[in-house]
Amino acid sequence: MVALNDYLILGAILFALSVMGIVLNRKNVVILLMSIELMLLAVNMNFVAFSHYLGDTAGQVFVFFILTVAAAEASIGLAILIVLFRNRQTINVEDLDSLKG
Amino acid sequence: MLENYLPILIFIIVGVLVGVIPQVLGWFIAPQRPDSEKLSPFECGFEAFEDSRMKFDVRYYLVAILFIIFDLEIAFLFPWAVVLREIGMFGFVAMMLFLGILVIGFIYEWKKGALEWE
Amino acid sequence: MGFEQILFYFFAGVLLFAATMVITIRNPVKSALFLVLAFFNAAALWILLEAEFLAIVLVLVYVGAVMVLFLFVVMMLDINLVKLREGFGEYLPYGGLVAVLLVIELVVVLNSPQFGLGEMPDPVGQAADYSNTRELGRLLYTTYVYPFEIAALLLLVAIIAAITLTMRKRKDTRYQNPAQQMSVQAKDRLRVVKMPAERKG
Repeated sequence: MVALNDYLILGAILFALSVMGIVLNRKNVVILLMSIELMLLAVNMNFVAFSHYLGDTAGQVFVFFILTVAAAEASIGLAILIVLFRNRQTINVEDLDSLKG
Repeated sequence: MLENYLPILIFIIVGVLVGVIPQVLGWFIAPQRPDSEKLSPFECGFEAFEDSRMKFDVRYYLVAILFIIFDLEIAFLFPWAVVLREIGMFGFVAMMLFLGILVIGFIYEWKKGALEWE
Repeated sequence: MGFEQILFYFFAGVLLFAATMVITIRNPVKSALFLVLAFFNAAALWILLEAEFLAIVLVLVYVGAVMVLFLFVVMMLDINLVKLREGFGEYLPYGGLVAVLLVIELVVVLNSPQFGLGEMPDPVGQAADYSNTRELGRLLYTTYVYPFEIAALLLLVAIIAAITLTMRKRKDTRYQNPAQQMSVQAKDRLRVVKMPAERKG
């Protein structure tokens, strides 16, 4: 049988990979959003694993809500990205400095 | 419960193999003598007019977003439909409230003309 | 090693490989496709954890919709990829260091005897007629009914935000109004004029 620890470590590695993705691709907003999706997936993995091993379905309800929030977040984030591209012709994070004091 | 999924696993494996094996076989068996003419993009006998990665219209994006939202709504409907007999009137009212809130959004997008293609 | 363990390591391996490709590959389109692969493998792992409904929702909503949205956006914007890749290698040591530290810390914590996660008893597999969807629905529409309504409001906000942000009326386009076309009557378009007949020749 697979132990609970295996799933938790898998979630940890996935989370670390997406943190690395945010650091590496810090200029490309699209990849940043994808990294955030991966992070949420890692968190969801922990939730589902705990829910299974503790025999408590509440964890899965939370995962459902996280999925809802993540989909809303992705759609609004991408909408902002499109408006950004329309106004500035770029999605490079470095060029978004017009609020600099 | 997991035993029920064994046929699906076998199905996926067979499906992947059916997709992969012909390509691998083709790679090994077929003669390969590429030259620049053969590898160049081909558009009905013409030279290619433009890059194949053309820009999409923003209106597709709006449709895709609305699709996601209502997709999630449907996902919430499935467990509700399964347990409706147990949760009774309370669950029914809860779901009607949920649907009512989303219908407000639907009316908004209808009135705003987000569904029209112009 | 049991069959379930082999499956776990296979799916986990593909998941981690796909996640690595998402963050390192050059082309955002391929990146989105690898994200699809990652989500699909995560769904397979969730089925191993007997969370079948969530696995199906993950495939339906994420692989089916969110990833399509990402692909649309990537194809909608023509971006100078070379410029966005600048400084990729420069930050690799830092990113790698942070990631490795994170994993080491979490593994140390998870394996520490204080929590006793290692001695967690293996749950009994559910019976063949167990319905995960039913269990989920029983909780979702009774105990968690309030968060459920908040989710509806969240979706409403997402609809309105997406429309107000991206909708742009084009003033110069001409289009037809089918309702007006259908309700038109002969007297609106056609005038019958009485004329005296003219003799030929």
